[in-house]
Amino acid sequence: MIGLLGILSVLTLLVGTTVALVRWSERRLDPGADARGLSGPAATEADAVASYLDRLKVSLTLPAADVAEVSGEIQDHLRDSIAALEDEGFVYLDAVIEALGRLGPAAELGRQLSSAHQSTRRLLAGAGGGVFAAAGGLVLGWIGGIALAYLVVICGALGFGLLSRLALPVPDFGSDGNVTVNSLMMAGSLLVGAAVSTRYAVHTSAGLSRRTPHSVAPFWAVAGAIAFAWLAVFEMRGPQSWPGFVACLCVPVVSIGAALVRIERTITHAVRWALLAGLGGSLTLLASLGLMLAVTLADRSSPTVTASQAEPDMHFGLVAPLAPQVWLPDGTTTDGGWTQPSQESGTTFYVDIDATELANWHDLRFEAWRGLDDNEAGLDPGFSTPLVSQPAARDGTTVAATIHFERMRDASSWWVFLTGLGPDGQRYRLGETLGGGSSIFYGSAWDWLTASQ
Amino acid sequence: MRCIRTRGTVATHDKIRAQLLKGTTPLLVLTVLKDGELYGYEIAQRIRERSGGAFTPSEGALYPALHALEADGALEASWRESDRGPRRRYYRITRVGLGLLDQHAQEWASFSLSVGKVVGGPNQ
Repeated sequence: MIGLLGILSVLTLLVGTTVALVRWSERRLDPGADARGLSGPAATEADAVASYLDRLKVSLTLPAADVAEVSGEIQDHLRDSIAALEDEGFVYLDAVIEALGRLGPAAELGRQLSSAHQSTRRLLAGAGGGVFAAAGGLVLGWIGGIALAYLVVICGALGFGLLSRLALPVPDFGSDGNVTVNSLMMAGSLLVGAAVSTRYAVHTSAGLSRRTPHSVAPFWAVAGAIAFAWLAVFEMRGPQSWPGFVACLCVPVVSIGAALVRIERTITHAVRWALLAGLGGSLTLLASLGLMLAVTLADRSSPTVTASQAEPDMHFGLVAPLAPQVWLPDGTTTDGGWTQPSQESGTTFYVDIDATELANWHDLRFEAWRGLDDNEAGLDPGFSTPLVSQPAARDGTTVAATIHFERMRDASSWWVFLTGLGPDGQRYRLGETLGGGSSIFYGSAWDWLTASQ
Repeated sequence: MRCIRTRGTVATHDKIRAQLLKGTTPLLVLTVLKDGELYGYEIAQRIRERSGGAFTPSEGALYPALHALEADGALEASWRESDRGPRRRYYRITRVGLGLLDQHAQEWASFSLSVGKVVGGPNQ
């Protein structure tokens, strides 16, 4: 509990500091932020002054607020200089030419002023601030993405409920155990996180290093694309599906887009958006909990229908014929089972048996066969080969094997059997079944792509 | 022929002065700002006044120098209403700037003394 509170505190501090840093940095990117109240060009000023200032602005590779400040300062200087020259006896146009001449070429002045602003210290501050803002933006965006995903799911559920009420066909997204929906939610939250993170990094580094956002954006686009592609494809583990995999591949593209598209625009109301996302997420969570509670209560109140169940054909004969009892020691099929310690370490099947009692048996294997989906028991008769076959390892009085269902794309329902070559050289099942179960793929997008099934 | 030679002499004279001034602009700027805050044009005027009209820093070099000193933390700038006319960007020397001024002044004293010895010859 204390650990959780600590993590929450650190995340809150990170997000809060990031938002403050981004807001502070963006003050340099907003042309109206610090330059408000600057005097505009006087109507009487010569076109030459306006033209000079325009050329100066173009040559300044600085954030908008700095450009406004610098051009305002030079404009004031020219006004003073022209007035002083006129006092010395210059006619107006000559005074303008002389004043502009004293400042030198606009492009050179702009280059020198840009260089004066862009010190190495500021460059380092921009790089460090950008990395910090990227980390905070990722956390903030990820949380916002999760909230948004829940909101979409709730809206979708309400929409489907409405379609159902209207007796219209409702798409079935839950047939795969909600794997597709969950994988899309996971990838979607990273998409939002990557977008916010990259944009925050660009704006913060531009503001702190006194550069234009579009001049630093390519760097962050490349860095974001590489970092988030690696995160999306190799590091982010969870339920996977083909739509979720495609969404994962979109993460680097979104990161590049967030760095380059309309990057000169400041992110307005970052705090407001964060609060709205948090509020929306909380409300969504509450609504979900309420919905679950309502469904649970409705299920309890509905009468239980008991149907007479006929013994179904489980199609176990597809695997191999059952070995004659006389060839098997007692209890072969009952003294065993399987364990599933965690989602990533596979499912281990074992049978307690004295190896000497299976002396005439060879090539013992644990075979997993595809089961029927939904609530039907038994093997899927559409398949004539096992989902996976794993040699049984003998260890004292136990034969065992580990099968990684979580690394198989299409192993939602399975049954496992122990088979072996009997004394007559034929393959038999050593008992009925070790049991059946269901699994969902759990791993990275790369695991999904390279999965054997 | 005489006229051309005079122009050439003046141009060379200005060129030498500009080169000598180039490296001293931060020292001159920090020195005049030690007495109080000023805006860009005032700084140029104050330097000219204090040099007895002998030189004025190149205006094209003055603003980059001001902004570089600000970036280094030697100066602070703020927009304020001026006594006459529109808002101006006033510069104020900071503690860092005072330290930098001391450094520059010592460097300059040492440098000018050395140059004087070389230019004045061994008997100087």
